[in-house]
Amino acid sequence: MRKKYLPIIPVIIAYLVLFLVGKNVSGTWQLVATLLFYCALGQAFNIFMGMTGYVDFGYVAFMGMGTYGMALGITRFVFLQEYGAVIIVIGFLLALLMSTLLSIAVGAVALRLRGAYFAIATIGVNEGFRFLIEGARIWNGSEGIIFMSQLNDILGRDAASALSTFWADVMVLVIAFLAALTTLLFMRSKIGYALTALREDEDAAKVMGINVTKYKIIAFITSACFAGSLGAASWALKTPYVFPPEVFEIHYTIEAIIIVLLGGAGTLLGPVAGGLIYGISKYYLSIFIPGFQLLIFAPIIIVIIVLFPQGVVGMLRDYTKNTVVGRFIV
Amino acid sequence: MSLLQLMGVTKRFGGLVAVNDVSLEIASGQLVGIVGPNGSGKTTLFNVISGVFFPEEGRVFFDGQDITRLPSYKRAPMGIGRTFQIPRPFGSATVRENVAVGAMFGTLGHQLNVNKSLKIADDIIEKVGLADHRNKLAGMLTPVEKKLMEIARALAMKPKLLMMDEAMAGMHPNDIDQMVNFIKKITQEESLAVVAMVEHIMRAVTGMAEKVIVLHQGSKLVDAPTKEALQDERVMEVYFGKSVEAL
Repeated sequence: MRKKYLPIIPVIIAYLVLFLVGKNVSGTWQLVATLLFYCALGQAFNIFMGMTGYVDFGYVAFMGMGTYGMALGITRFVFLQEYGAVIIVIGFLLALLMSTLLSIAVGAVALRLRGAYFAIATIGVNEGFRFLIEGARIWNGSEGIIFMSQLNDILGRDAASALSTFWADVMVLVIAFLAALTTLLFMRSKIGYALTALREDEDAAKVMGINVTKYKIIAFITSACFAGSLGAASWALKTPYVFPPEVFEIHYTIEAIIIVLLGGAGTLLGPVAGGLIYGISKYYLSIFIPGFQLLIFAPIIIVIIVLFPQGVVGMLRDYTKNTVVGRFIV
Repeated sequence: MSLLQLMGVTKRFGGLVAVNDVSLEIASGQLVGIVGPNGSGKTTLFNVISGVFFPEEGRVFFDGQDITRLPSYKRAPMGIGRTFQIPRPFGSATVRENVAVGAMFGTLGHQLNVNKSLKIADDIIEKVGLADHRNKLAGMLTPVEKKLMEIARALAMKPKLLMMDEAMAGMHPNDIDQMVNFIKKITQEESLAVVAMVEHIMRAVTGMAEKVIVLHQGSKLVDAPTKEALQDERVMEVYFGKSVEAL
């Protein structure tokens, strides 16, 4: 492996440790699964928000689309049940397709706007989509889709239960890793340079010959694809039903923003750090002072963001610059 | 054939005519100074040439092609590079990365990968004398270093036309002389065709420009070889007011 791809090693280690702890220490798998979900969410969101500096408040809609993609894949292709897991693959493909289509539609309109205007324009996307599905009664409208029985038919009862309690989380792990790998590949290619340039100064980037719209769309679609597959794995396969109000909940977008900012926007390791810090503190706060976790958590986040505007990893990167460790932290 | 040709270019901002019916020609390899008092439309003219604004009237030709309505990101690969009056570095990237971006998306961009671009960047950083700051974040540079970095970034694009917008304002006179020599040298070496520049600093203009275009209130006042232009009465009037004898 070439030197410039070394920073993937700490990512691999982090995910490996998480996996081994969850697998071998009894009673920790649920926590690990939650942490993996947050890491994957941050990693996927970081490709767009971290690298371009644009904040997409409608991000959860891509996860929603992914969830619906998987649900539709399983319910509409149940007649292929003798092929078993192939249907899951079809579900993922549909999830990718649907989140890509939505991201193209949203991107074509909203990516023409800049900064805060983009953020405002995207706030409506998830709510709008939810009302569209409920109001126009698309895909069963507000009743949602419950596909427990189809999943059991396809995979058999035991395999289906193993899927939702274990393998779905492993898929989330794979998605998190792939998103991290993509981030690093982007960083080390022209795409990354173009995104950094446009994040820092869009007008200067344009004059330098960078087709900013093209690169923004690349980042947007890539990020949306990971969100879609995350929805399919973590929401559809883990809990085999989908209801519009749950999968278009803006709450998850906010969590994604917090994770990325906490860890360090635009860094490779940031989402891992952010996901772990956020996930663990949320978990323990809700045990010790249930109901008050957000009240405690909000000021902590404010303090961290004021003190380390670059995020935890951004700060670490500055400290370890020019050292051996620094080579692994980007 | 001229490299850059403007025909009757007019740019308005609401009621304000920033550039008024300006026609000019710049040949390949020519060192041209564009001067004029504040608000005379120099920067707007640059913005029209680099595609930040489209003109309301008139046409812009570059290398024989009509680029009047071409988006700015398509102009850079054709060979139009520029610096900004107030430097606009990509602050969170290092100097090296900043300059590499120039190479990556400039005229040779399509045949350069990241590694080659970084190599070109190292080369040019050395030339402009920023070698010690190579791995510093561009946002941490001093204003003068930022200007040097912008010049390096524009040079990395291998432009045919390099437009420098008051690149030497705020520099020490010695540095200006050095910069002038450097630019003269690089124009010949790189067969980088034209350096058009907007400059208040006459030391720089007289030091390197072969011809001077004087703008006044958006219109072209004088377009002549440097010596001639600077002795022109109208130019004197714009800069210093009427001579006592004339009163």
